Amino acid sequence: MSEQVKSAASSSRWKLSLDTWAVLAAFLAALLIRAGVFKHIPW
Amino acid sequence: MADAVSVPQVHPVQPMLRFVRVIPGVLLLAAIGYAGKLLEQNVGAYAKAHHWTFPNIEYVLWAIVLGLAISNTVGVPELFRAGVATYEFWLKAGIVLLGSRFLLGDILKLGGVSLVLVAIEITGAIVFMTFLGRVFRLKPKLTSLLAVGSAVCGVSAIIATKGAIEADDEDSSFSIAAILALGALALFTFPLIGHFLHLSDRAYGLWAGLAVDNTAEATAAGALYSDAAAKLAVLVKSTRNAMIGFVVLAYAIYWAGKGQAQAVGNKAAFLWQKFPKFVLGFLVISVLATYHFFSKDQVGALANLSRWAFLLTFAGVGLRTNFKEMRKQGLRPFAVGAIGEVAIAVFTLGLVVGAERLFGF
Repeated sequence: MSEQVKSAASSSRWKLSLDTWAVLAAFLAALLIRAGVFKHIPW
Repeated sequence: MADAVSVPQVHPVQPMLRFVRVIPGVLLLAAIGYAGKLLEQNVGAYAKAHHWTFPNIEYVLWAIVLGLAISNTVGVPELFRAGVATYEFWLKAGIVLLGSRFLLGDILKLGGVSLVLVAIEITGAIVFMTFLGRVFRLKPKLTSLLAVGSAVCGVSAIIATKGAIEADDEDSSFSIAAILALGALALFTFPLIGHFLHLSDRAYGLWAGLAVDNTAEATAAGALYSDAAAKLAVLVKSTRNAMIGFVVLAYAIYWAGKGQAQAVGNKAAFLWQKFPKFVLGFLVISVLATYHFFSKDQVGALANLSRWAFLLTFAGVGLRTNFKEMRKQGLRPFAVGAIGEVAIAVFTLGLVVGAERLFGF
């Protein structure tokens, strides 16, 4: 297997679904709020 | 190097380009959503100042109507389309963050009731839609797609099933168009029916979560009624979404048995692949909130962030609904979908009213 094939195969293995990205983004936001980076989110 | 030819080249700049491409559309979603919020605040105040009788129209409806107006008049320019398509991302992130407003005990209590109702709804919807598909002589795979779309969770379920049963692109376009058109109608009819029947927030939220097909529309239909109804609609809809893998797997096995789809190898991997991960994210945040990982103010901040995410989603719901495009897909699948959806709505309304009397929630 060539290097290109290996890199493409490993990149597709690590490709995350939209669902997973949304969960990760929400967790990150929750952690930032927990850490006090964002103290108040107005509505 | 023949084996490298068929593999697409990976360009390091691609993710950055993809990110830049979505910016205009995301800004459009934010502008429409924020305009909806301003309209809610100002139209009501203006009407009150001039002693007009004007119903209080929520930002949810303003955002959807503004999006619909743009989509069905000038259309969404190409520049914005990639960003508008991110509305699903905001929806799912919003649902995960909404988990902070649920205590685990509530989820277990309501989740238990809703799980039973969801199981009845899914079974009833699949049986009825399959019957209707046969009566209207739709293609069997088109019938399967419509049944899954109306029983489980709209567009995502149709796309997942399409791949698993190897249905035609045309069949999935028909089904998606029918489910989206009916979802748009539900947005306007469900709150009216709920108010007409004086449904409680809980009963209405359960009903919207059970009967409205797409997650975005179910969330919006709940939010158009009340905040409490929206919370419950999201919980019930997420329970329905969690069933997607099982239903798609059953259809995949059925069609593979007929020799018209590939056999499913590892069933556990198949279920995990189809399982909506945002449901797990929602549960994790809910567990953290239950065990006081977040302070009261932080829970408030998370809930507000979830509302902002939903604001972008509601703008996206309006923007991606184009009635002209839907009309092009033909009437028969739409008729089957419409008859099925009305029957499911009546059936689930009966279920919810019965459950409310039985369990007194």
